[in-house]
Amino acid sequence: MTNPTEIKQKLNTKEENTWCPGCPNFFILESAKQAIANLIASGKYKHEDFSMTTGIGCHAKIYDYINISGIYGLHGRVLPTCLGMTLGNPNLTVLGFAGDGDTYAEGMGHFIHACRYNADMTLFVHDNQSFSLTTGQATPTSQQGFKTKAEPLGEMNRPINPVKLALVSGATFVARADAKNIKQTAEIMKKAIMHKGFSFVEIIQDCLIFNIKANSTDEKMYAIEDNNDKSKAEKLAEEWDYNLREGKIPIGVIYQAEGVLTLGEEWPQLKGLLDKGVGWKNKR
Amino acid sequence: MPRREIFLASQNPKQTIRFCDTNEVLEMRINILIGGKAGQGINKVSEIVSSVLVKQGYFTFNYRDYPSLIRGGHNFNVLSASDNRVGSIESKLDVIVALNEKTVELHKDELKKDGVIVSFEEFKDLGRNLNIALSGALIKILGIDKEILVEEVKKALKNSEEAVQAAEKGYESEESKFNLEKLDNKIKIMTGSRGVSQGALDSGIDLYIAYPMTPATGVMHDLASNQVENNLMVFQPENEIAVVNAGLGASFVGAKTMVGTSGGGYDLMTEGLSLQGISEIPLVVYLASRPGPGTGVPTYSTQCDLDVALRGGHGEFPRIVIAPGDPIECIENTNEAFYLSEKFGALSIVLSDKHLAESEFSSDRKPNKTIPVNVKRKTPGEGIVKASSYEHDEEGNTTEDAELAKKGADNRIEKYNKIKEECKKFQMIKIYGNPKAKNLIIGWGSTKTVILDALDAIDESIKSGKGDYKFLQVLYMKPMSDEIQGEIDRADKVILVENNSTGQLGHYIREKTGIKIENRLLYYDSRPIKSDLLKEEILNIK
Repeated sequence: MTNPTEIKQKLNTKEENTWCPGCPNFFILESAKQAIANLIASGKYKHEDFSMTTGIGCHAKIYDYINISGIYGLHGRVLPTCLGMTLGNPNLTVLGFAGDGDTYAEGMGHFIHACRYNADMTLFVHDNQSFSLTTGQATPTSQQGFKTKAEPLGEMNRPINPVKLALVSGATFVARADAKNIKQTAEIMKKAIMHKGFSFVEIIQDCLIFNIKANSTDEKMYAIEDNNDKSKAEKLAEEWDYNLREGKIPIGVIYQAEGVLTLGEEWPQLKGLLDKGVGWKNKR
Repeated sequence: MPRREIFLASQNPKQTIRFCDTNEVLEMRINILIGGKAGQGINKVSEIVSSVLVKQGYFTFNYRDYPSLIRGGHNFNVLSASDNRVGSIESKLDVIVALNEKTVELHKDELKKDGVIVSFEEFKDLGRNLNIALSGALIKILGIDKEILVEEVKKALKNSEEAVQAAEKGYESEESKFNLEKLDNKIKIMTGSRGVSQGALDSGIDLYIAYPMTPATGVMHDLASNQVENNLMVFQPENEIAVVNAGLGASFVGAKTMVGTSGGGYDLMTEGLSLQGISEIPLVVYLASRPGPGTGVPTYSTQCDLDVALRGGHGEFPRIVIAPGDPIECIENTNEAFYLSEKFGALSIVLSDKHLAESEFSSDRKPNKTIPVNVKRKTPGEGIVKASSYEHDEEGNTTEDAELAKKGADNRIEKYNKIKEECKKFQMIKIYGNPKAKNLIIGWGSTKTVILDALDAIDESIKSGKGDYKFLQVLYMKPMSDEIQGEIDRADKVILVENNSTGQLGHYIREKTGIKIENRLLYYDSRPIKSDLLKEEILNIK
């Protein structure tokens, strides 16, 4: 086994990082690299088997900063692009990095269906409750009253609860992470990637420039034990509603279902590829 | 040297057949309309009768006309049969097979003076085998042996004794009007949908991703039906936006992928097509058009989506648009689309329409040899490969550098030039009829076989190759053949035939050559062009 620190070096790119100074995206990037490096170091995952997709937004710049294969995709289309990768080669380790506007506004339909399909892939949502790369408009997780240049009267709509939504939609792995807690997030990411099926990790992230009012929820956060009880998961999901009301924010693996077949295991054609350890390209 | 070939639609173009109870030698063509409510089984009639006719060595063409409903309403098929290639319907009918009263009411004015009506009235007691009895009656009218009928009915209805009895009852109820002796032709029936599917299978398709939409769904059903045996997968995601992005994801990791849709779904896909343009991930799109705008006339036909096939998607990027004109060309062009897409990392669009996708054509021509499609590029699992929706550097990482932005655009133009060179290996256009003819008809897609029938009806232009007309069929819409200009320049009279209201090919030819085609025969009532009426309209242009 190789040293994770050396592997992590190989995940670096030469690209200049253009996130705002101090942006928690730096921490998410570090967590992702740690998680990937640790998995490669375990000997069960190969560097060249990782394939990622990003949407468009601040989060998506991560594409340029991690040296793994992938498609820098379209806004809102992370999930279908990841789905295509798993259909094309079910033996790849497919990761999607997406934003909150990306996933819950432009791509909401895909989100619910991804939970249904249970393809073996992982979605990380960098949720800063604002469209930041377009200078701070409201997203579906922004709190009511959030004033922006586009919503000068304040956001009128109630925010959605993505964790709750994922649970009702049948996601087999639902977790929440705190961007500022690098080690803990890396650990959650690792578990999400290792889960067989669709894994969803909602990462709470401050934006230092826009929607500042939504920031600094850290003191409300508390770590939970890994949970595989659905009704308990539903209660955990209810504890925080993104509207800046009172409540505690559970962090960790909120739900993990066991023994649910993945899309790749359900389809005989993909099962065949899984058994052979190849994609369609090398099927013959 | 550019290739120029004269194509004959049939390999037996000059056959003359003796037929008819009067012992006259005639050019033979029989037009049969089979009508009834949706669910009464009119397709079974045309299926059985077409199979019998083809076995007897006759060419058939079956047009399916149905509104957007599942049970009831009024559906009809028009089955044309001939001793020679046939690929159109005409305005006058020889036989009406009526499964209900409405069929007679609606179509009796189309019947020729000596035409025959075979009515459901005689077989009221047969219940669900009414259509089989009517098939039997029709076979008798055509003067074909009962044994052939029985054999076909057994095959089509899993040896049902009841069905055979119904067929025999029908057969015995009629007198023969025609005498279709057996001919020595080897003919196959095929729809355009089947052709596209076969072309995809020949190319080694791994994944077909689509969301249901008429008239593209035929390919989805066809490929799905034997997907496990054929070692491919057909997946239906939540919408066409998911279809195209999943298609790109799958192709990126090395699967030979085609996506399919019609106009509305294609509109949803266009941002994904643009992503293809910059990421250069190979993608084949099957686009079967129907009359728009909006939901339009969903179960009928048009050629209204050429413009959007040529241009859909923001930004400037290369693409290939190929429009086959019959099912055999569907096989060949789909294979070419896969080959070009993989070779150049390009977007290939196979453009069809409802008329081509769902009509049952017949042909004795074998498709060209399949071009192998091999995925040779490095894919994830084999190393680090990066694709991007942003302008990017050679490693696939984002750039906003002015020089690299210009270089990216230049590369896309250069790529298009290379694609165009490669396309010259294929039949980008075809010319039928007398190469020296001074009258030139130009058309594309599903109007091809109608135009061929109309020109043969004028002076056997196509069959003899000596008439006053030739027909230029454009298959490659983009890149477009440079030979079109010369053909137009050499002709005295040029007539454009299209199944749309604005003459989209005409505009595109004008854009490419500066030539405005003045004579335009445009049909846009969403119904197929009738070849006898087309013939009259061609002759009316002085």
